[in-house]
Amino acid sequence: MIRKKKILYVDDEKINVQLFQINFSNSFEVLISCSGMDGLLLLDKNLDTEVVISDMKMPEMNGLEFIGKAKGKYPNKRYYILTGFDITGEIQHALDNKLILKCLKKPFNLQEIERILNE
Amino acid sequence: MRKIKFEYKLAFSYLLLGGIWIIFSDKLLSSIIYDIRVLTEIQIFKGWFYVIVTAILFFLFIKNHLTKLRDTEIELEHHKNHLEKMIQEKTNDLESKNEELFRKNEIINQKNTELKNTLVCLQDTQSHLFQAEKMASLGILTAGVAHELNNPLNYIMGAYVGLFRHYENKTFSENDEQVGILIDSLKVGVERSVSIVEGLNQFTRNSQSYHEECNLHEIINNSLNILQNQLSNNISIHKQYANSEIIIKGNVGNLHQVFVNILNNSIQAILNEGSITISTKLDDDYVHIEIKDTGEGISAENIEKVADPFFTTKEPGKGTGLGLAITYNIIKKHNGILEFQSDLGKGTMVKIKFPK
Repeated sequence: MIRKKKILYVDDEKINVQLFQINFSNSFEVLISCSGMDGLLLLDKNLDTEVVISDMKMPEMNGLEFIGKAKGKYPNKRYYILTGFDITGEIQHALDNKLILKCLKKPFNLQEIERILNE
Repeated sequence: MRKIKFEYKLAFSYLLLGGIWIIFSDKLLSSIIYDIRVLTEIQIFKGWFYVIVTAILFFLFIKNHLTKLRDTEIELEHHKNHLEKMIQEKTNDLESKNEELFRKNEIINQKNTELKNTLVCLQDTQSHLFQAEKMASLGILTAGVAHELNNPLNYIMGAYVGLFRHYENKTFSENDEQVGILIDSLKVGVERSVSIVEGLNQFTRNSQSYHEECNLHEIINNSLNILQNQLSNNISIHKQYANSEIIIKGNVGNLHQVFVNILNNSIQAILNEGSITISTKLDDDYVHIEIKDTGEGISAENIEKVADPFFTTKEPGKGTGLGLAITYNIIKKHNGILEFQSDLGKGTMVKIKFPK
């Protein structure tokens, strides 16, 4: 059996991480976390994580702050934002700087996310 | 002294003169004339003389008296005529004044009607303005609220995707726990969507009644929900509500507008990090609501003007300048009082008082 790709999903809303795990754990090994802080710890323990997807609006550390720190440590992973809101100046800036590869929209599109994860 | 009337004077003088004349003329004649025959003849002349003199005197007296009387009568007549003329003149004068008054009254009535129409028109415009401001602030908020809906929609989409896969693979029974989570997510997603839409509906409702039951805690919570999107992670909200529900008579939609406006101002006043404390209190006669933020505050110069129409310190497109003017009006319509206390750089406290 081929080893499943390891991905990390960070979102402060429990329902969102639960659903993400349920919907993607068939094809991927889904690590989930409810805060940027925990996300960073998970990355430290799972160096083979290939893709990181994070919600934008979270208390304490927002998605881009988290990704900024994660990318500083692990520059070779692919990072994405998944948000219900429009692309803000902050997100556009992150796109321009290639901090994130794409800004995905909520409600999520299963096919789009699967395609991105499989790239 | 009482004036003796003419007729008495006349009779008395006649009696006196006649008496004196008879007594003295007879004595005089009898002392100088001794011949009885001559005396008798002279007596006849004397009688005639007396009658003629008294007749002349009567004539003169009465003429004099009557002339006076006639003059008086003429003068009276004259006065009477004059008076009549005067009365006629005055009456004419009054009539024309009356007519003028009537005309003026008509003009006043007409102006009054015009004013009434203008007032109705103004009230109409004001209510339109209320609604327009609501829509303008709604426009500013809508972007956020619409996006806020994407979160519960994400739950629903996630639940659908999971449930659909189990349906396709016929794996419901083996995944009891997972199916439970998916169904719960569906429910929470729908409930959240409903509460967001309801919040918006409450805010935009356009009822004119000021006799609706307004649950203040519910309205404040709802306003916070509408503003959820404007609230960054760096703003903490502290609620210090009274223990019991607070219900006042008023207009639900307009009171939403009040709290959305005030809370939105507090949020916008907090540039980086801060808190907003909302407290409610009841005493015997009043409901007190205080909204305190740790934002940038309002200068003493501006605090006088915050409720003036079109006064704004916000960038173009960020505010209409009508928010607090309308907030003030709405509170006044609820017989309430709105007050601001602010320290530049430290924050602002908004105090609202409603009669119970």
